[in-house]
Amino acid sequence: MPSLMILIPLFGIIALNLIFAGSVKMRRWAFVFALALFVLQIAVAVFYHPAFRNNSLERIDSFFRMAFFIDHLTFIMFICIGLVSIASLFVARYTMPDESGRFKFTNLLILASLGMSGIVMVKDIFSLYVFMEITAVASFLLIAYPKTIESLEGSFKYLILSSVATVLMLSSIGLLLLVSGSTSFTEIAAGIDGSRGSAFVLLAIGLFICGLFIKGGLVPFHGWLPDAYMAAPAPVSILLAGIVTKAAGIYTMIRIVTTLFPYNQAVNSVIMLIGTISIFVGAIAAIGQDNFKRMLAYSSISQVGYIILGLGAGTGLGIAGAVFHLFNHSVFKSLLFVNSAVVEKETGTCSMNEMGGISQKMPVTGTTSVIAFLSTCGMPPLSGFWSKLIIVVALWQAGHHVYSALAVIASVITLAYFLSMQRRVFFGKLKAGLENIKDADRGVLGVSIILAAVIVGVGVFFPFVYTTLISPVKEILIR
Amino acid sequence: MDAILLPIYIPIATALLVLFVPKKVRGVREAVVLAGTLANLIVAVSLFKSDLSYSIPWAGFGAFEFNLRLYHYSAFTIGAAAAFGFLISLYTCVFALNKSYSKYFYVYFLASLSFLNGAALSSNLLAVLFFWEALLMTQFGMIALGGKSAFKTATKAFIIVGLSDLCMMIGMAIYGHIAGTFNIGTNAISLAGFGGLAFTFLIIGAIAKSGSMPFHSWIPDAAIDAPLPFMAIFPGALEKILGIYFLARISLDMFKLDLNSWASYMLMTIGAITIIFAVMMALVQKDYKKLLSYHAISQIGYMVLGIGTLVPVGIIGGIFHMINNAMYKSCLFLTGGAVERGAGTTNLEKLGGIGKRMPVTFICFIVTALSISGVPPFNGFFSKELVYDGALERGRIFYLAAVIGSFFTAASFLKLGHAAFLGKLDKRNDKVREAPAAMLVPMVIIAGACILFGVYNALPIKFLIQPILGPGRLEGHDYSGFPANTMLVIISVVVLIGAVLNHIYGVKKTGKGISAVDHIHYAPVLGWIYSRAEKGYFDPYNIGYSAIDLLSVAAAWTDKAIDWVYNSFIVTVTDQASAAIRGMHNGSYKLYILWSLGAAALIVIFLIRAI
Repeated sequence: MPSLMILIPLFGIIALNLIFAGSVKMRRWAFVFALALFVLQIAVAVFYHPAFRNNSLERIDSFFRMAFFIDHLTFIMFICIGLVSIASLFVARYTMPDESGRFKFTNLLILASLGMSGIVMVKDIFSLYVFMEITAVASFLLIAYPKTIESLEGSFKYLILSSVATVLMLSSIGLLLLVSGSTSFTEIAAGIDGSRGSAFVLLAIGLFICGLFIKGGLVPFHGWLPDAYMAAPAPVSILLAGIVTKAAGIYTMIRIVTTLFPYNQAVNSVIMLIGTISIFVGAIAAIGQDNFKRMLAYSSISQVGYIILGLGAGTGLGIAGAVFHLFNHSVFKSLLFVNSAVVEKETGTCSMNEMGGISQKMPVTGTTSVIAFLSTCGMPPLSGFWSKLIIVVALWQAGHHVYSALAVIASVITLAYFLSMQRRVFFGKLKAGLENIKDADRGVLGVSIILAAVIVGVGVFFPFVYTTLISPVKEILIR
Repeated sequence: MDAILLPIYIPIATALLVLFVPKKVRGVREAVVLAGTLANLIVAVSLFKSDLSYSIPWAGFGAFEFNLRLYHYSAFTIGAAAAFGFLISLYTCVFALNKSYSKYFYVYFLASLSFLNGAALSSNLLAVLFFWEALLMTQFGMIALGGKSAFKTATKAFIIVGLSDLCMMIGMAIYGHIAGTFNIGTNAISLAGFGGLAFTFLIIGAIAKSGSMPFHSWIPDAAIDAPLPFMAIFPGALEKILGIYFLARISLDMFKLDLNSWASYMLMTIGAITIIFAVMMALVQKDYKKLLSYHAISQIGYMVLGIGTLVPVGIIGGIFHMINNAMYKSCLFLTGGAVERGAGTTNLEKLGGIGKRMPVTFICFIVTALSISGVPPFNGFFSKELVYDGALERGRIFYLAAVIGSFFTAASFLKLGHAAFLGKLDKRNDKVREAPAAMLVPMVIIAGACILFGVYNALPIKFLIQPILGPGRLEGHDYSGFPANTMLVIISVVVLIGAVLNHIYGVKKTGKGISAVDHIHYAPVLGWIYSRAEKGYFDPYNIGYSAIDLLSVAAAWTDKAIDWVYNSFIVTVTDQASAAIRGMHNGSYKLYILWSLGAAALIVIFLIRAI
């Protein structure tokens, strides 16, 4: 039955274009349609709807040549995908005045989210690749959507680097197919287990991980990321930073590492090293940025570093922390990008030096931004504190004391660049020429407030969240 | 909900309720306060004799757990606190009726009760710490309510107690490291190595909360500045109950102590010094409340000494003295409040002869003064005799200190009673009236309890205190009834008679009750010491302050160095690193591909080499 999670959006897009594409009036309803779709996705995930149990609908499933399955990790990812897509949708309504342009955007957004839903449900490596490409193609188009020089350049860089990743991963899939004779996770895992220590397998593993590093934008595979995030229109930045790179790169890495080669110490040390480099390079690069969105892009790199650092600890707790931080990062980074979108739309610029004091004019945006960045820095009792704490504790328990200490130190740098951002953009005296700006429309403000409430709520009710949501993730390692 | 949580929830919920009670309707707020404290008392009493525990593991990792346990000792402690809380809130409702601070006093007071119950119920050091620090805040708030000059005193109290709490926190950390758990009573550790350090730091926290020397100096200041009910309930009763409770738990449950260990001698020495020095200061005070406040310090010495002996008779004496002291000391403060309300002052020079005008207050004063002086058959006599017995077993010097303390205690209360209630009635005090019934009731009840606990001392000792030690430690002894050592009783009585003779001598010499101890005050060497003590030369807080001047110069230099590191060095390094990284991102996708492929090659080589 999980296949419905793919089929409904798929037929939704078709229906959208058949029914609504005709007149401008009807196109307005595309927004409502997409919103309903994403809300449904979250609702189904949260309430454990029967669609979510792993029973199959034989007739519908025979339509696919692949099998889907759902576990706890998938469940969390579904919530992330739904939340971020909704945020993106509202911001699109706010920043894109052109009806027909927005219609195209909505279509691509549903397509991208369909791709991501596929990524988090498949259980063979080739289908994984297919859904990744669906997501990536939708993203290329979304980035290039304004058709300016910058956006085309950003999209092109993403396209090129993604192709490199594709080459790496496809070669790896080929090699793994040779070793195990199949593409399904279980058989590959058995195949890898059977030929332990063979250089051939290690080559395949290395290539696949490097492809995922590119997709996830980790240093030094991150070159495309700041340009793409900065050049993309605001709602697309939210989507990319909030979920696309996380689903395509990070989620996949968590899934692959835990199911295919869970006890390979060398892989774990590579992941931890790359994670730490990303944390520091991302944070230090963020300090010197003038462009709001580019700063957030580097911040994303840094936070993704934390996620895979937790993964690299190799313990159940570390993986739980990584997934938790992934969830938190989706929420707070989306919120920050929503804030940046509002600021960009109202002031007409992304340069932080040309802003100042706009918190007076935008109380909600200014306040939610404080909550979001404090959570990013790991300030108790907000959500980010707990996930970072779990990661640090997991690293310490696994005996990686140096990495654990570095993870704590990097939080200080995070705080430094966000405080500087907040001071330059929101606090202080109102810059001349900005007297007439106002806060965003109700929809976007609502999204900001909900996301901020999630940050605070997850932080305050952490014990509950931990036992019901996060702790069960540990099971994926045991299996 | 678990019943064990009620003593924590009820007072704090009442406190929040008080915040929202409209002030226009008179009496509603007071009714809420009384109802809350009464409910707390009922719950505390009904929980007595039960054994409950409650646990929330924090996120399931590490030793961080939130554990509560209600058993004999903690039930006894919260029961005693609840009883005082109710009686004193009854008193306060009249005393503070028209005072501007009343609303926030109630809020802080009720919150404190909740935190105190929490601290007493916690069976995990981290939970103790949580409630303990919360008490620090409400204490600050209550003192600061006294007005402008009170703020300085509140800060002083905050710094002294805060620093000692910091010591306690360090002690807890060391303890947790050695014992492998923060739970109390699961793993008693020895004093060897860092265990001794942990013990010392934990003890500092416990005795500083109870107000022992050298952490006492804020109490006399607070006596003048803080609202009077605060003095009666906190330094008078609750802080002692909690401090001594924790001291006993440290000594009995958390460490394995030998009779001859230095820890025992350290505690006994602190106790003896506190008894002597504080009572000497109390002797020469010329203010009703300030005199009492020094006794509040001095009496804590008996408890620390008693528990420090580590012999059952001493420990029982110490705990019994704790509960006795809470009774008579809070009642004495309440009489002080009644006098303040009636005469408008607590300065002994301006009082005198008001005993006839305030007969009930005077009787309560007499009963409690006799109790604190250790006159048979009042409760103070029996607990002191037990402490004497324990002290004598461990060393004559400690016994001697305790007895000298008794002498001066009796002398100073003879002086206080004489100066305030007897003698000629001053014209200014012609209109003094007795306090209203709501203030008298708590005083009478407590004074009555002082007699009850003395005459029928088997009730507290057998029923409440001996079960704390358990049959294993008691070895079949029973310490209730008349003291076993008749010799000690005779000495005590002789000492009391000496105090009376001393008073008569002093009054004859000067003719006034208030100057009954002038021959001690202005004695050759003592006079010189007293004049300096009164200027605050011996106040550890002041000494600390002058030492800080030197420290601040050194700190300023260190600060400059640190500033340079933060403001110049780190900023420059970060800026340059950031600029370097920005420089590397020149926008060329060829470069980016090169990075990716180069890194991919390195990773693959590493993985293959790592087999």
